[in-house]
Amino acid sequence: MTTDDLTQIPSRPTGIARLFEAPQMGKMSPAGCVIVYSLLFIWTGFVLFPLYWIAITSVKLPIDVNSGPAYLPWIDFTPNLHAWRDLVVLEWAETLKPYRNSVIIAFFSTIACMFIGSMAAYALARIEYKPKFGTILMFVLLMAAASVSVGVWGVDWRLASASAAAIFVLLARALGRRFKRSVGNSDILFWMISQRILPPVVTVVPVYMMFQSVRLLDTQFAIILTYTVVNLPIVVWLMYDFFSGIPKDLEESAQLDGASQFTIFYEIVLPLARTGLAATTLLVMIFAWNEYIVALFLSTTKAQTMPILVAAMNAGEKGVLWWKMSVVIIIMIIPVVLMALVLQRFISRGVLLGAVKG
Amino acid sequence: MTAANIGADVAVERRAQRLSILALNKSFGPVHVVKDLTIDVAPGEFLVLLGPSGCGKTTALRMIAGLEVADSGRVILGDTDVTEALPKYRDVAMVFQSYALYPHKTVAENIGFPLKVRGVPLEQRSAAVRDAAAQVHMEEYLERYPRQLSGGQRQRVALARAIIRRPSVFLMDEPLSNLDAKLRGYMRAELKHMQHELGVTTVYVTHDQVEAMTLAHRVAIMDQGVLQQIGKPREVYDNPANLFVAGFMGSPSMNFIDGRVENGRFESDGVSLPLLNGAPAGPVVMGFRPEDATVVDPGMGQFDAKVFTAELTGDVTLVTIVIGDKSLAVKMPKEYEVDFDSAVAVSLPLQNAFLFDAHTGNRLPAQFALPPGQ
Repeated sequence: MTTDDLTQIPSRPTGIARLFEAPQMGKMSPAGCVIVYSLLFIWTGFVLFPLYWIAITSVKLPIDVNSGPAYLPWIDFTPNLHAWRDLVVLEWAETLKPYRNSVIIAFFSTIACMFIGSMAAYALARIEYKPKFGTILMFVLLMAAASVSVGVWGVDWRLASASAAAIFVLLARALGRRFKRSVGNSDILFWMISQRILPPVVTVVPVYMMFQSVRLLDTQFAIILTYTVVNLPIVVWLMYDFFSGIPKDLEESAQLDGASQFTIFYEIVLPLARTGLAATTLLVMIFAWNEYIVALFLSTTKAQTMPILVAAMNAGEKGVLWWKMSVVIIIMIIPVVLMALVLQRFISRGVLLGAVKG
Repeated sequence: MTAANIGADVAVERRAQRLSILALNKSFGPVHVVKDLTIDVAPGEFLVLLGPSGCGKTTALRMIAGLEVADSGRVILGDTDVTEALPKYRDVAMVFQSYALYPHKTVAENIGFPLKVRGVPLEQRSAAVRDAAAQVHMEEYLERYPRQLSGGQRQRVALARAIIRRPSVFLMDEPLSNLDAKLRGYMRAELKHMQHELGVTTVYVTHDQVEAMTLAHRVAIMDQGVLQQIGKPREVYDNPANLFVAGFMGSPSMNFIDGRVENGRFESDGVSLPLLNGAPAGPVVMGFRPEDATVVDPGMGQFDAKVFTAELTGDVTLVTIVIGDKSLAVKMPKEYEVDFDSAVAVSLPLQNAFLFDAHTGNRLPAQFALPPGQ
């Protein structure tokens, strides 16, 4: 029997049905291609148009902005660099200050956040914690009692907190073993992320009052500290996942090879978590760069950041200065785009390929 | 033969150390994984910890490495009690089942890592890396990354990383189980040769009894966290201490026939054999190895049976026979042919048959009475 004798099943449908079937496994059907690429094309326009609009608005004269939409430079209107000259040349000192504030605040809060957060995440991924439920409850109750005694009976706050801490240590040592129920790493992790459940507007007033009482309002330090604390849960949560994905064998092998805990962390774990570090850094940095509400409360003049400057363009006595606002926005976008380009090459898959198994 | 003598007949290097574990215990929650494990490994000895998965052998190995903390008991390496020591302070190297190569480091960096963390200068280190790589035939791959290597090559890199710093003890956790059968046989021979050359005390964990038989100076068989028997492979194979060891060693495994001792005879469905010295009456299990028995014509052997299947495996014909509801395996020469369902008998040199207590599983000293002529 030759192969000619075999019954052939139709290899491809015919007619209109052909358009809706993939030519091979792993390919899209012709109709699918058309639909997907049209949607992507529309979406690209949707995403890029605002950027284009800002770019051309920054080179428009006020009259061109206010006299209705003008889309194409040199055709609809004549480009003019007056807004750029105002902000980048004439008022450069005033533009530079919030710009520098933003860079410093985003940089340091991101560094602090990544440093603390990734270590916390690594510890959570590798060490089993079993804090006793009763001990935690005891701590909370004692701190509440201390607060009440300060607020209601006017006890000195140092005395109250010191005695509460002392009682806690004594009780924890005495009763700690009696408590049976304990919480695990997943509870700690959930507690961390729960810190982000409340909207920032709710917490910003107490934060404001706290910094007011320690006289740190309108300082870069206050904003760096706040951003670090606010972003920590995100770093811990994301990095925990990346660290958990690294095979434990690698670290055990490194231990037997004679490496110390910190050598293992810097030589083995961090390089392997590079993808996660890059992605998380970018995310946290963008959060800090774009943050508005905390900066609005905590800064007045000296520590003002870029988002505040942009918003301020909205409230000048001459009305909304769209052209200036566009310039500021463009200046503001540049570092983030650069950062994304730098970090993007680390955000590739397959770092762990070849670690274990054959 | 004591453990000390065994080490003496292999090339013992000066670095080779005695490894003793004394009454080790480990529980994970309610599960008692390792129970009172005591093993003495002579300097330069190749000891294989053998057992089914979940028998505690890997946990025992990890306690020797220091990756798990023992609940009680001691680990003594040379003259040092290392029970409490962190892994990095014990002079042991371990090869993991998963190889555990550092994926972001090249082969050379992987092999050299143990020296790097000890602060060995670069020149000395690269010389040592070349030496170690040569020993596992990986010199040409030094600049590659683990992801660019095959399973067998990764395994060699893991070995080179273990031998580069000349540890006092090698620990190997099923290092060959991720390789295909052909490569496994080859690497097994390589491994045995290398251990002989280096003369380093080695503890090797496996669930593969062929690996255990071929590699070990001594085999320690574990089941449910308890050491069942320890001895040279031949001793363990020829003189199993209990039902578990008898059943675990050998492929296909030993045939077992449940029965009773009555009036000085072993009695079971269709089987009745005389016993020599007075075995106490009660339920027992008789065992014999497939290669010790032969299939003969009906009436010519100790008991009659029926052929279920005959399978040619290449070097032998494996005949499965049934007596009542029991099925037994017998190895016959490859030329042997028999029809399914035909009536046959089993002839068995009774000095090669074992008797076990059905309750405790322990080997009974009772012997079968040999018929005249055997």
